[in-house]
Amino acid sequence: MTAPTMQAHPAGEHDAAVAVHPGGSGMPTALVGMLLFIASEVMFFGGLFATYFNARASVAPGEWHPPPGGHLDLPLAAVLTAILVASSFTMQFGVWAIRRGDTGKLKLWTAITLALGVLFLAGQIYDYSQLGFGIRDGAFGTVFYTLTGFHGAHVFGGAVGLTIILARSMRGQFSQRNHVAVEAVSMYWHFVDVVWIGVFSTIYLLR
Amino acid sequence: MQPTAARSRSRTKLRVGVPLLVLALAASGCLLPPDPVTEAGQDVFNLYLVVLALAAIVFIGVEGFILYAIFRYRRQPGDDVLPEQHHGNNTIEVIWTIIPTVIVLILFTVSVITLGEVEGRSEDPGVTIEVDGFQWQWTFSYPEGGTTTGTIGSPPTLVVPVNEPVRLVLNSLDVNHAFYVPQFLIKRDLIPVGENGEPNELEFTITEEGTYAGQCAEFCGTAHADMTFVVDAVSREIYDEYAAALASGSPPPATGGGDCELTIEITANNTQFDIDEFEVPADTAFCIAFENQEAVPHNVSILEGGEHLFTGEFLNQPGNIIYEVPALAAGEYTFVCDAHVQAMNGTVTVTP
Amino acid sequence: MATTTLEPRAAGYRRSWVLDWLTTVDHKKIGILYIVNSFLFFFAAGILALVIRAELAVPGMQFVDQDTYNQAFTMHGTIMIFLFVVPVLAGFGNYIVPLMIGAPDMAFPRINALSFWLLPLGGILIFSGYLFGGAAAEGWTAYTPLSGPDYGSTPGTDLWIIGLTLVGTASILGAVNFIATIFKMRAPGMTLFRMPIFVWTVLVTATLILLATPVLTAGLIALFIDRNYGGSFFDPTVGGNPILWQHIFWFFGHPEVYIVILPAMGVVSEVLPVFSRKPLFGYKAFVFATVGIGLLSFSVWAHHMFTTGAVFLPFFAFMTALIAIPTGIKMFNWLATMWRGKLMLTTPMLFSLGFLSMFLIGGISGVMLASPPIDFHVQDTYFVVAHLHYVFFGGSVFGVFAASYYWFPKMFGRKLNEPLGKVHFWLHFIGFNLAFFPMHQLGLSGMPRRIGDYSPDAGWTILNLISTAGAFLIAISILPFLINVIATFINGEPAGDDPWEGNTLEWATSSPPPPHNFDRLPPIHSERPLFFLTHGHGHAAERPEDLEEEPIGESKSGDAERRPEDLV
Repeated sequence: MTAPTMQAHPAGEHDAAVAVHPGGSGMPTALVGMLLFIASEVMFFGGLFATYFNARASVAPGEWHPPPGGHLDLPLAAVLTAILVASSFTMQFGVWAIRRGDTGKLKLWTAITLALGVLFLAGQIYDYSQLGFGIRDGAFGTVFYTLTGFHGAHVFGGAVGLTIILARSMRGQFSQRNHVAVEAVSMYWHFVDVVWIGVFSTIYLLR
Repeated sequence: MQPTAARSRSRTKLRVGVPLLVLALAASGCLLPPDPVTEAGQDVFNLYLVVLALAAIVFIGVEGFILYAIFRYRRQPGDDVLPEQHHGNNTIEVIWTIIPTVIVLILFTVSVITLGEVEGRSEDPGVTIEVDGFQWQWTFSYPEGGTTTGTIGSPPTLVVPVNEPVRLVLNSLDVNHAFYVPQFLIKRDLIPVGENGEPNELEFTITEEGTYAGQCAEFCGTAHADMTFVVDAVSREIYDEYAAALASGSPPPATGGGDCELTIEITANNTQFDIDEFEVPADTAFCIAFENQEAVPHNVSILEGGEHLFTGEFLNQPGNIIYEVPALAAGEYTFVCDAHVQAMNGTVTVTP
Repeated sequence: MATTTLEPRAAGYRRSWVLDWLTTVDHKKIGILYIVNSFLFFFAAGILALVIRAELAVPGMQFVDQDTYNQAFTMHGTIMIFLFVVPVLAGFGNYIVPLMIGAPDMAFPRINALSFWLLPLGGILIFSGYLFGGAAAEGWTAYTPLSGPDYGSTPGTDLWIIGLTLVGTASILGAVNFIATIFKMRAPGMTLFRMPIFVWTVLVTATLILLATPVLTAGLIALFIDRNYGGSFFDPTVGGNPILWQHIFWFFGHPEVYIVILPAMGVVSEVLPVFSRKPLFGYKAFVFATVGIGLLSFSVWAHHMFTTGAVFLPFFAFMTALIAIPTGIKMFNWLATMWRGKLMLTTPMLFSLGFLSMFLIGGISGVMLASPPIDFHVQDTYFVVAHLHYVFFGGSVFGVFAASYYWFPKMFGRKLNEPLGKVHFWLHFIGFNLAFFPMHQLGLSGMPRRIGDYSPDAGWTILNLISTAGAFLIAISILPFLINVIATFINGEPAGDDPWEGNTLEWATSSPPPPHNFDRLPPIHSERPLFFLTHGHGHAAERPEDLEEEPIGESKSGDAERRPEDLV
C-alpha cells in the first residue's frame, strides 16, 4: 500500500486533508493561541493586583505610602509611561506596514519599538536605584517591587520577542500574506503596555 | 426469563457487596454529630437533621434508580435491537431543574437562620476569656487575672460557668490554629493579626455541667495532633472560686477539721495525684486530707458520670486542706482535679 | 464500516524507539506519556496514603514520627491532585479530543510536548525535598504563616513552590492548546453543538485552567518572595495578611476541583450512552450545565474559609448551594440516558455507574458543607476528607478507570480482559467505600484532619481500623488492573476499529490510529456521527433540526428523509 492518494469518493465524505486548513477562516490559530496566553497573563497580574489592594486596604487611610526614607518618583514614572505608550504606537505602525507589504518600514518601526522598550527597562532600573526602599521594607515595598518587577519581566519577554521578529524581518521572512509572528508579538506588546497603564494608575495616581 | 450465568454472577456480587456496604454504614454509626451541650449547638444539630433527611431522600431516590436500572434495563445477550433513542424532553428537564433549585433555596434559608443563632452575641457575656493558641499548646487568661498554660502531656482545662454566655477572644501567637470542641458543634480559627488587627471571637452558652474534650483543628505544624484541651463547665460558684484562686494566688481558708472516721490522703504535685484509686465504705461520710505541693491550683472533686457530687476548694499554693465528703452510695465514681481533668483523675470504689 | 490500514514507515528511515518517544510531538504519543507518567505518580502518592492509613489504624505513632507524617499527607495531596488526576485527564484529552473532532493533531504540537515534559520535571522537584532535609509539610494547601519563612520547612517548601509553578505553567500551556484546537480544528460539519460532551468538558476545563492557575502562580511567587526575599505579603507582624494566602489559593483551588471533575464527567457522558445504546439525554442542557458550573466555580472559593471569621458567609453559602443545581441536572440526564436503555455492564460501564453512586454521595456531603453552621462543626475534620475523596476518588478516579478500559483498545489495538476488569472494579469499589465512608462519622464525631495520632479514649479507633483495611484493599485492587494491562500488551484480544459500537469519531479509524489520525471522515450531522453511519436511516432522526420534543414513550417514525449526499 502506497502513500494515500486523492481518490474519487462519494460526495459527503470529507478527505481528511480538508480538516487541516491552518486556521482557515477567521483568526489564525497562532493568534488565537497568543490571545489565550494573554488571558492567562491578565489573571496572573490580577492575582498580583489583588495582593496590592489587600495590603493597601489593611492600613488606615493616609497610611499607605513608601516606608520612611523612601519615595515614589511620579515624574519619572510618567516619562516611562509616555515611552511605553509611544512604543505601542510604533509597534502598531510596524504591523500596519507589513500588512501593506512594506518590509522596510516593518524593520524600522520594530527597531524603534525595541529601543523604546529597552529605554523603559533602563529607566525602570534607574528608578529602582533611586527610590530608597526595597522589597524587604514592609508591605508597601513588597507589593511595589513585585508588581512593577513582574511587569518589567514581561517587558523583557516582549523585548525578546521583538528582537526575534526584528531578526526575522531582516532575513526577509515576513510578507504581506505571511507575518503571523509580527501580529502575535504586537498583541503581546500592547498587552504589556495596558498592564503598565494599570500599574501606573494604581500605584502612582490612585495611591 | 431464565437468569443467565452473568446475571447470577452479578447478583452474587451484589449479595456480597451490598451487605458489606451496609456493614460499613452501620459501623459508621448513625451519621450524627455528638449530642450538643450548647444552646446554639442544638440549633445546628436540628439543622443537620433536616439536611440529613433531605440527603437521605435524594440518595435513596437516585441510588435506588441506578440499582433499578441495572436490573430492569439490562441488555439480554443476543438482543441487537436498539432501544428508543430519546434525546431529551423539555418539560421533564424544566421540572428537574426547578426541584433542585427549590431544595437549594430551602437549605440556604434554614442555614442562614441557624447562622444567625450561632453567631449571636450577647450584650453582656457572663465571662470573657482570652485564649492564646501557640505551637502547640494553649493559654487561658481569665478576666479576674489568673492564667493557666498547658504542656504536652498535661493539656490545660478551660473552666467556664454553665448557662451563661461565654465569650472567647481567640489570639494566635504564631500560625493559624482553631478552637474546636466537637460537643459544642462549633469551631473558630485563631488567626495571627498583628498590631492593628481584630482577633476572632467565639461565644457559646453551655447547657450541661461536664467536661468536654477539645482540640486544635487547623493544621499548625509538627505537634498539631497534641494540641488538645478540656473545657470544664461548672456552676457559677465554682467558677468564681476557681478564677479567684487562680488570680489571687493566696490559699483559701482551710475548712474546719471535724472528726473524721476515715481519712484518705491525697497529694498533688507535678500536675499529678499520688494515687489513682481509693476505696471507702458506702453510706459513710469521710474526709480527704489533701496536700498541694506546688504553686499550681489543684483541688479534689468527686463525680458520678459527668456530674459533681462533691467539689473541693482550690489550693493555689503549696498547702493542706481537709475536705469533708458526704456519704456516697455503693458504686464506682471518679475523682478529679477540676483544673486538670485529663491529667489528674482516678477511681473511687464505694463498697457496700 | 471502513477500516484504515496503517502506512508502513518509509524504508531506510530508522529511528530509535526511545528517541522517538522522547522527541515526539504526536498528540497520541504525548497522551500516552501523560497517562503513564500520571499513573507512576499515582502509585507514589498511593504508597504515601498507605503510610498515612497504617499510622492511623490504631492510636500511637508506630511507624513514623510526626514530621514524617506531616510530609506524607502534604505530598500525598499535592501529588495526587497536580501530578495524577489533572494530568491523567489531560492525557486522555490529548489523545482523544483531536480524534473526536476529526483533527490530525493538536493546534500546537511542540508546545504540547513541552507541557508534558514539564510534569516529570516539576514532580521530581517537588519530591526532591525528601533529599534535602524534608519535603514540604504544611499540607497541600500550604497556609501561611505556617508555610512562611518563620515556620515553613526549608528547602522542601521552596522546592514544592518551584515544582508546582512549573506544573502550573505546563497546565496553562496545555489549556491554550486545547482551546485553540477545539475552536480552530474541528472537521467540517462539526459545529460546537455537535461536539462530543467529553470535548465540551475539556473545553470548559481548559478555560478554568487558563483563568485560575495563573492566580495560583501569583500566590506561589508571593510566598516564595516572603520566604526568601524578606517579603511581607502574608506576615501580619510586618503589615501582611495571612488570610490573603487563603483567598488567593482558594480562588484557584475551587476552580481546580472542577478542573478535576469535569473531564471525568465527560468520560462518563461518553461511556453511559454507548453502553445504554441510547443517546445522552439532554445534550444541550448538559452543555449549559457544564458551562454554568465553570462560571459558578469562580464565585464560591471562600466556602473553604468559613471558619476564619473573615468571609461574608451568606454570599458564599448561596453561590455554593447553587452549584448543586447544574450538577443535579447532569445526574438526572445520566439517569434518563439509562432509562429504557439496554445496559451492557462492561468494565467501563461499571466504573461509570460507580462514578454516579460515589459522586452522588460526595455531592451530598458537599451540600452539607455549603451550610456555614454545619461547616463550623465539620470543617477541618475527617468529614471533609470523606467528602473530598468521594468526589476526587469516587468521582474523578473512577472516571479515569472508566476512560482507561474504554479507550485502551483504541490506543493499543487490544481489549483489556473483561473478567479481570470486573475483579478490579469490585475490589476497588468495596475497598473505596470501606476506606472512606467511615470518615463521615469520624468527622461528625470530631476527629480533626491532618493528625497522625489520636486519643484511645476518643472512640475513633474502630472506624480508623476499618478505613485502613479499605485503603489496603484499594491497593490490592490495583493488582488485577496492572496484570490486565501487562497481559493484554503481551497477548491481548485484538480490538478492531470499533469494539464498543461507539458514537464518536475516534472509533472511525484504526486502533491505534495512523499518525495523521484519519484517512477519511464520515459525514458529520449530529453529535453521534458514527452512530448515524452505523445505524443509518432506518432509525429515529439524528439531525439536530429533527431533535424536537419527543414525548417519552413514543418514537419518531422510522422513515427519516433520505438526502442524496448522505448515501455512504
